[in-house]
Amino acid sequence: MVKETYLHDKHVALGAKMVDFAGWHMPVQYSSIIEEHKTVRENVGLFDVSHMGEVFVSGKDATAFLNKIVPQDITKLAYEKAVYCQLPNLKGGLIDDLIIYKLGIESYLVICNASRIDEDLNWIVRNKRGMDVKIDNQSHNYSLLAIQGPKAINLMKKMGYDIENQKSFTIKPAIIEGIKLLASRTGYTGEDGFELLVENEYSEFLWDKILEKGVEFGIKPIGLGARDTLRLEAALHLYGNDLDENTTPIEAGLSWSVPKDKLVNYNGKDVIMSQIKDGVSKKLIGLEMLDRNIARHGYDVYYNGEKTGYITSGCVSPSTGKNIALAYVKNDKDICVGATIQVMIREKLHDAKVVKRPFIEKRNRV
Amino acid sequence: MSFKDEILCTKSHEYIWNKSVIGLTDYAIEQLGDIVFLELPAVGDEFKKGETFANIESVKAASEIYMPVSGKIVEVNESLVDAPESLNEDCYENGWLVKIDPSDNDEFSELMTYADYKEELE
Repeated sequence: MVKETYLHDKHVALGAKMVDFAGWHMPVQYSSIIEEHKTVRENVGLFDVSHMGEVFVSGKDATAFLNKIVPQDITKLAYEKAVYCQLPNLKGGLIDDLIIYKLGIESYLVICNASRIDEDLNWIVRNKRGMDVKIDNQSHNYSLLAIQGPKAINLMKKMGYDIENQKSFTIKPAIIEGIKLLASRTGYTGEDGFELLVENEYSEFLWDKILEKGVEFGIKPIGLGARDTLRLEAALHLYGNDLDENTTPIEAGLSWSVPKDKLVNYNGKDVIMSQIKDGVSKKLIGLEMLDRNIARHGYDVYYNGEKTGYITSGCVSPSTGKNIALAYVKNDKDICVGATIQVMIREKLHDAKVVKRPFIEKRNRV
Repeated sequence: MSFKDEILCTKSHEYIWNKSVIGLTDYAIEQLGDIVFLELPAVGDEFKKGETFANIESVKAASEIYMPVSGKIVEVNESLVDAPESLNEDCYENGWLVKIDPSDNDEFSELMTYADYKEELE
């Protein structure tokens, strides 16, 4: 059965086009993807991302447990800090990518992808054997509202929130519009913004309040369509497209999130460390099409007349008007920024240029 | 009498007007969302009913456009290829895709009126 978030009826009332996404009936767009995209780049947008999974991990061994299942060094994660990491299998392939937040001593919140929650929980429970740790999947009890865009801070201030106190990639318990929630300064758009984790029963009230107080900042509700183009411009990976169980964090260009000096063992460490040392056979690159054609997920990529890989994500970039894509290609040093490669689109090869990732300038550093 | 009263439609959302002018219905455009790419055939190309003759892409997805009846392409709306987003404003008057010379008049009887097409959608 398709699931609905607590905000489902709000989306329908706002005239959203609804689609099935990862088992959820979600808004793909309210007005136009391009318009919504620009709203987030220029003003502020509100997203319902309640389909995401929230798993609380606590207990005497919580830190040691998480440290065993992700490459990041969780012992170094400070109170109220967040860290982006992956959940590798024994071969270093990725079961999911996650954000882990430290809520207290031996107490963490793990946010995972809606499409992977079952696989994640299965893997997490298999790995906790013999450890004193409580895994509490609260996904069904919480809604997650994302406020994203350069004016997100203005809106948060307007709602009485003291943003001076909160740096990027941190989480804090807060009371906003009288509602107890967890506010994190994170997002998936390449913009500054906040994600508010709130108990389901308060989500509709909070959604309405945000839209009401956001009017003066040009707020709009934003669907999953623009969420995808926003994250792709920022070259943020999408699980299922750019990451999967046969792809390691090193191949995915996520080496920055893999510490080289972590002493304890974790799942997939052997493979991941040997790839750092000896190199990888495939790598993720950014592309810009040289004609109007759009490279889509699954299209083949050619270099010098030979198939070298495939497109994982592609779209028209609403910010630049260029057609951008991410692709895996053979780790050939000639396929570097500035090189021309080809994408097979409807049985014809179309030129594309390898470009730097992200496709837009990063603006969300606080 | 509006333009929509004079077109014949397919289940796959193409319309044909005056036995020659082919386009996509407003419902199809609405469903696709922001149109960002259009690829049209060349004048002289021949297609059978149901064959793909053009490709359209919105921000979200790529779709094929099928011939409502068999025929030969006699004119192509080239200006749309450079400004496919204009289809979101008008897919009828200026937003037609191609004009054809149909090869089998019997095929028109298999198409729906716009009113029947709308009913089918509901």
